[in-house]
Amino acid sequence: MDIYRFNEKMYKSIFICTIVLLSNYISFAQESNYNYDEEKDIYKVISNVTIETEQGNQKLSTIYETSPTILVLIYTRCYGICNPLISNLSEQIQQLDIKKDFRVLVVSFDAADRLSDMERYAQQFDLQNDARWIFVTTKQIKPLIESVNFNPKWDSTIQQFDHNALLVGLNTNGYITKKIIGIRGSNELQAMLKEINNEFIVSYPLPRKNMLFSCFTYNPTTGKSELSIGLLVMLAPALITFIIVLSLIKLGKKQRKTLVK
Amino acid sequence: MTTLSLKKTTSAWIITILVLFIIAISFGITMRFNQGRDINLNPDTFYSIMTVHGVTMIGIWSCAGMMAVNYLLSRYVKTSVKLNVFAYAFTVVGVLMIWASTLIGKFHAGWTFLYPLPFRVAWAKWGTPLFLWGLTLLAVVWLVWAIGMVAQILRNYSLSESLAFQHLSRTKTPAKETPPFILISFVSLIGIIICLVTAAILMALLFAEYYSNGGFVNDPLLVKNLTYFFGHTIANEALYLGLATLYEIMPEVSGRPKFKTTWYVALGWQLSLFFILTAFFHHLYMDFVQPISFQIIGQMASYLASIPSAVVTVLSVIFLVFGNKIKWNIVNGLFFLGVTGWIIGGIGALIDATISNNIVLHNTLWVPAHFHTYNAMGNVLFSLAFFFWVGNEFVDSKDYSKFNKLLLALLIIGGFGFVIMFYIGGANSIPRRYSVYPKELNLGDILATLGGAFASVYLLAILWIFIDLMKKCIKVFSSAR
Amino acid sequence: MKVQLFVLILFFSSASVIALIAYYVFRSSQPTTTNKESVKDPIKKRGIFLFIWFFILAVIFSVTLPKSPYYIFTDETPNQVVYVAARQFFFMLANEPIEPNVPKMEKIEVPVNKTVEFRVTSFDVNHGFAIYNERSELVTQTQAMPGYVNKLRWKFKEPGNYKIFCLEYCGAGHQLMQSSFVVK
Repeated sequence: MDIYRFNEKMYKSIFICTIVLLSNYISFAQESNYNYDEEKDIYKVISNVTIETEQGNQKLSTIYETSPTILVLIYTRCYGICNPLISNLSEQIQQLDIKKDFRVLVVSFDAADRLSDMERYAQQFDLQNDARWIFVTTKQIKPLIESVNFNPKWDSTIQQFDHNALLVGLNTNGYITKKIIGIRGSNELQAMLKEINNEFIVSYPLPRKNMLFSCFTYNPTTGKSELSIGLLVMLAPALITFIIVLSLIKLGKKQRKTLVK
Repeated sequence: MTTLSLKKTTSAWIITILVLFIIAISFGITMRFNQGRDINLNPDTFYSIMTVHGVTMIGIWSCAGMMAVNYLLSRYVKTSVKLNVFAYAFTVVGVLMIWASTLIGKFHAGWTFLYPLPFRVAWAKWGTPLFLWGLTLLAVVWLVWAIGMVAQILRNYSLSESLAFQHLSRTKTPAKETPPFILISFVSLIGIIICLVTAAILMALLFAEYYSNGGFVNDPLLVKNLTYFFGHTIANEALYLGLATLYEIMPEVSGRPKFKTTWYVALGWQLSLFFILTAFFHHLYMDFVQPISFQIIGQMASYLASIPSAVVTVLSVIFLVFGNKIKWNIVNGLFFLGVTGWIIGGIGALIDATISNNIVLHNTLWVPAHFHTYNAMGNVLFSLAFFFWVGNEFVDSKDYSKFNKLLLALLIIGGFGFVIMFYIGGANSIPRRYSVYPKELNLGDILATLGGAFASVYLLAILWIFIDLMKKCIKVFSSAR
Repeated sequence: MKVQLFVLILFFSSASVIALIAYYVFRSSQPTTTNKESVKDPIKKRGIFLFIWFFILAVIFSVTLPKSPYYIFTDETPNQVVYVAARQFFFMLANEPIEPNVPKMEKIEVPVNKTVEFRVTSFDVNHGFAIYNERSELVTQTQAMPGYVNKLRWKFKEPGNYKIFCLEYCGAGHQLMQSSFVVK
């Protein structure tokens, strides 16, 4: 076998392997709308309030103890962020096709909401028959929202609450393991699903300025972190060297030919 | 063919390297005595000295390896003296720039200049650009030099011959043999090119931020990866260049047959090129933000890198010596001692490259402990052996001087005594790169004083060697032919 | 036995063995020694050595890897989170997240024998975050890198005053950077 060609093939396959390897290790996203409040109440137990479900009153713990739970706080009259929050979440969950066991518990923080309003609300997103989604109300709004540091303010002029879009991740012991404020990428959601399943995520990025060549970038349309130019920068030296050596070989051959002549 | 001009250039390199080495050791001793509270430097002076110590040591021993390889290459291929002189001249300029930025401008971001520290200017404003441009100059000049040497090899050997692929077959004897020296030089020079390209990219990123006035910001994680890729690889490759000279010279001066490239030598060195490119991940173990797979690759590559070097080079040296009547002299004596020091330092490195140890050893004195072992008691000795060998070439003598017992004692006691203080400090959680130690860690004080004292003994040995070598080096310049 | 003492002993004993082997090999090459023969069948010897060395490394690798900081205390919910932000040349420790523009420093107490999570970042350059116990032994550490938060989990087995030192060179005040917290 022509060893020279073998070399080239070997380098090529090593290069491809490296790319594939690197692409497997994408682990975090970068986003700008980071809210430091996300880190409040981490590893605290949520207030075990009584919730009203279709099956009657039950403790919140009966939900999260059976499977890890994402708690979403909304109200049905909302013209603002509640609808996009729910639709975005349900879309992301469908797209991600998650094998992990978890529930989404949607709780109204508006005392005016009845269970029937929540049912209608679920229908609006075609989620009424989805076993993963539970839509409930509670009489104990105050202890619940206080335990997750959620502070909606009633604005009587527009008859709406001024509030954040908040997702609270609960593990089966009721510990808040991660919060997400605002509508964020599916990477954040995946991180939350890992953390409510008690998987340890060793680090996360903070919001930053326009960065030159970061290793991973967040793509808002797919909601995924992608190989970005930064990783190419890490591979570049080996590639450049390869090109240099190839051109030196060409040069060497040419010089040998002229020497022979 | 070695010409007189090549000898003169090599002689100039040796004189410059040794003078810089002696000054850099003195800086090192100064630091140890300051840590021992025997003298009292301002922290910024201390850290400026620390920066210049690190960058000088890495620089001169990379140069020593490259110029030794350049000299020996002329036995096999046509080399360019002009390129060698060019490298020498600009290296001197680069070193002067860096020395000015650190010693006059008080730039003190450490030789690793870890981003964004160089931009948090706590020194003369011109210090940062001068230091970075100085390093850029060195990177570009050495890059040209290394590419030139690779081109010279590739003129006589094809790529697969340079990598000794034809030796991989265990049965056939190849038509054209690749000497181990060519193989190792080629593999190491490729490694050097990769890491110098990295340095150039790194500098470009830093300059982009520096000259855009905050228009661009770098990713600290990316820059850290690039920094250690460059820093780790250049230190490692410098040592491999030293080993190339060992393969070439040691059998010759010992009265033993030359080393042959066998399939395992070929395979070992080919593999080492790949391990070396990922081993640097072990510098980022404590950066949990680095993908965990990289950390695992780091530990694996660091472990695997020991296999070719240990199974191939060390055993080759042992087999060369064991049970054979060797004509011991200063050249093979230094090589042999250097291999011993290299292995001992390697054990220290393997211990630190284990993630679960690294969590209590990272950035303690264990780190300078192991790299001073395989540099001061390994790579430096390889280069000194080459200096002695080439010194004889300068005066046309095959009569190598004996390894003086007192000199040997000074080297061993000074060198190992010096690093042992580092190891003990590291195991006692004393941090590295502290100008003085806080009262809780004042065990570091006495260790530092002792380390400084041992290093002074080592310096005595180096001065002795310097005087010995100077006699021969200066003679070249007075030769007419 | 603590890791540091173990590795020091391991290092010194292997260094001594290497030095003895080197001396033995050197002695065997002296003109005065007789009855020594040079190594026979070196390829086989290399093979044996390769096998043993690879085996040793593989064992150490598989034993030590699970003890890496990314894998320890991962199946537990920490009892407390401590937020750490490093700056030239001090540490901010707080029970609440610290925002870059709102300096916050609190007295920290963490429970003994319970898992604690440190969320460590830096607001300027790279710093180190190393925890030392009352005997001034390094217990655990992580890096503080600007733009990223590293989570370090630990279970303190002894109560007492723990010190924090910076273990990444960060400028002329590097050696002065310290802080402390109490384990109760």
